[in-house]
Amino acid sequence: MSDPHPPIRVPVGGHAAGRPPAGDEAEASSAARPRPTITPPIDIHDGPDGLTLEADLPGANETNLTIQLEHNVLTLDARIDPPAPDGMRLVHQEFPVGDYHRSFILSDDVDRDRIAAELKDGVLKLFLPKADRARARRIEIKS
Amino acid sequence: MAGPDWPGGWDSFHEFQREMGRLFDSFDPFQAFRHVRAFPPMNLYTTGEEFLLSAHLPGMDPAEVELTVTSETLTLRGERRRPEGVQDDSYRRQERFMGRWSRTITLPDRVDEAKVTAQFADGVLTVRLPLAGGAGPRQIVVTATGATPGRRGPGAASEPHPNEEGGRP
Repeated sequence: MSDPHPPIRVPVGGHAAGRPPAGDEAEASSAARPRPTITPPIDIHDGPDGLTLEADLPGANETNLTIQLEHNVLTLDARIDPPAPDGMRLVHQEFPVGDYHRSFILSDDVDRDRIAAELKDGVLKLFLPKADRARARRIEIKS
Repeated sequence: MAGPDWPGGWDSFHEFQREMGRLFDSFDPFQAFRHVRAFPPMNLYTTGEEFLLSAHLPGMDPAEVELTVTSETLTLRGERRRPEGVQDDSYRRQERFMGRWSRTITLPDRVDEAKVTAQFADGVLTVRLPLAGGAGPRQIVVTATGATPGRRGPGAASEPHPNEEGGRP
């Protein structure tokens, strides 16, 4: 039994990694009119090895989502195409068509080299592992 | 305003958005409604020949989304579950909607429910609803009783007799 919607591994780009090519093109063409910035809702939960962050990013996929880690700032950006083709008239609106954006400051306790990201059905899951020195250590008390 | 107050000792995570959000609030009229809006949020578009409904259902398994359409209404129903094996007290932050949800909307026009199609990709459900044939304004020819039946327009063969007009299907 194979999963029809396998998760996509999303590379976490450092400051040297640029945006994906699609983003550059889209950015140029959208300069004419401003698009709303959407703050995606997130959950964060603790685990024994680190934190897990989940963000609702419906419409995001591996080509339009970028995750950047620059110094200690982790940034999520996704540019979402309108759900309807050009020429369709909007009758009723409950969500804006725009770009997802949210940033977080990571402490030194996060092992930045081992951050992993997975995207499935519009949900981004980020694993932020604790650096070894930040893990709870049992210190033996010598008598 | 107090800073973030998370339980647990590992305060490794500060949110930049808190500051950024304040700066950009004025550009985002939807920000204030972020936590009160209905789930799933839906946009409805039209070409005049069909409706296109787009619903944000992140993290939903399309097999577990129940979609029913009548000629004038559309109902979506399902349940969004938290990831398994995560204890409630391990959450530092919970902003995402979880639980049972159901929404019914009345469509602005009649649709042909037999021709409705639905697709799910990247957490977005797209439903195409072609308008029912003859849903547009229909012109009914009014003829005076006793008028000479010689007058013929296009499609005269199927032109309803005035007496039959009362008994619409």
